[in-house]
Amino acid sequence: MELFERAIGDIRVYMEKRRGIASVQKAGGLFWPKSEGRNVVLAEDTAVELGNPRQESVSCLIWTQQAQNVTDGKMTLIGPDIRRSEGQSLPFGKVVLVGVSGFNEENAYERYKEMEAVRYSLDLKGYMIRAVSQYQREWSRISKDAVKDGFSFEMMAASLRREYLKKDYVHAVEFLFVTSSGEDVRELRDITKNVGRTINALDKMLKEIDPDCDECEYNDVCSEVGELKGMRRSRKEKNSNAHG
Amino acid sequence: MPMDKKTKTIALCGKGGVGKTSVAALMMKILARRKDLKILAIDADPAVGLCTALGVEVKKTVDDIRNDLIRSIQKGEHQDKAATLNMLDYELFDTLTERGNVCLLAIGRPESEGCFCKVNSLLKDIIQDLAKNFDVVLIDGEAGVEQINRRVMKTVDHLVVVSDTSAKGVNVAKTIKHLAEDNKAVNYQSMGMILNRVRDGSEVQNIQNNAPMDVLGWLMEDELIREFDFHGKSFVDFPDTAPACRTVEGILGALRL
Repeated sequence: MELFERAIGDIRVYMEKRRGIASVQKAGGLFWPKSEGRNVVLAEDTAVELGNPRQESVSCLIWTQQAQNVTDGKMTLIGPDIRRSEGQSLPFGKVVLVGVSGFNEENAYERYKEMEAVRYSLDLKGYMIRAVSQYQREWSRISKDAVKDGFSFEMMAASLRREYLKKDYVHAVEFLFVTSSGEDVRELRDITKNVGRTINALDKMLKEIDPDCDECEYNDVCSEVGELKGMRRSRKEKNSNAHG
Repeated sequence: MPMDKKTKTIALCGKGGVGKTSVAALMMKILARRKDLKILAIDADPAVGLCTALGVEVKKTVDDIRNDLIRSIQKGEHQDKAATLNMLDYELFDTLTERGNVCLLAIGRPESEGCFCKVNSLLKDIIQDLAKNFDVVLIDGEAGVEQINRRVMKTVDHLVVVSDTSAKGVNVAKTIKHLAEDNKAVNYQSMGMILNRVRDGSEVQNIQNNAPMDVLGWLMEDELIREFDFHGKSFVDFPDTAPACRTVEGILGALRL
């Protein structure tokens, strides 16, 4: 099932419009040690802060079963890297594009939750993350020691990619990071604003036996996303057949 | 001062008006000097007295987060448990006020009526998870010990009851001991008492003879503390060499902090 065709297309256009530094990582090439059980980086130990609640921030995970839509290991950075931003609090945009297989309406939401959990369990030394999928926001801090030891977006991407690929339905992972300006992050937020709502609509449709589409807060998303529209139709048909 | 990697939690409680918050603020001042330690101060007093005593203006409290969540539940908004926990964790971190190696968290006053045990329980879990990231957690509680369990955490290392030398203060200490020991209001490893506003040694001797628990130390009636309280001065600026500071330093040493 393809839920994010439009968002993926818009993200590609967004990336083309800006001159991002793109790199393709060598599989398994970069490693970063795990933290020693404590994952709080206080402001006084912070070298770089990303997506503070007072800054623009957007973060989302998008999946596709179209293999050609994802370049595995590719990371595009629009704006300065971590080591060039010491002492700063930057706006932050992040999109994780995941190439998957075997997704259907029954398993998609559960698998999304599994993928979503990856960033919380990453537990990298000197890297603290606080994120809210409902707000599509991600706030992180990188410690002075971590920056001194060479922590970078490439390192973050490599560590995340390794964890996503442990799931047997994930075959490719691509990243976009934006640190250039609040405006750039805001634009990315506008492009991806329906990603979270699409996922919520999917979940709601699965949970509710007989959803009232006219009253539903996600009605506009279901009408726009072809897959959800089809799913809604088939659920209604199933429902009316079951009730004779 | 020996210190292992395990988080040490101290909870202060005792009758209202005995000077708990001043003692807590002095403890924070002394602990903050230890730059090798990360310290979390939890102000569980609805009047956010500890924050004020440390010169911190509170912009947001845990109860603001709690009330927002309750409102969204009441509106029937979709709540996935894992996502809710992550949201609470984010909001809680945003509620912290950071001052060097010290973070302050104000619990605030619950305003919503009705039973929201699930929400309280989620918040308590998140506070406990956050606390594990610190070397020392100091909780300035309300008068009763049961609020610490209900609103902050269920287990502490040191339960410290602050009392003045009045019979009422000591009786409250007895009640707290009963609630903690017999009613299991909070789990703790050690319990002790700090006497505040002592006029002379005979008062201490008298109370020690009948004290419901070990007396960890005592602070004499102190004009400087009164002055700081009266003028609302930050205890961060309390002189290191003042007798009260040295006494509290000794008490922290006895608690192996």
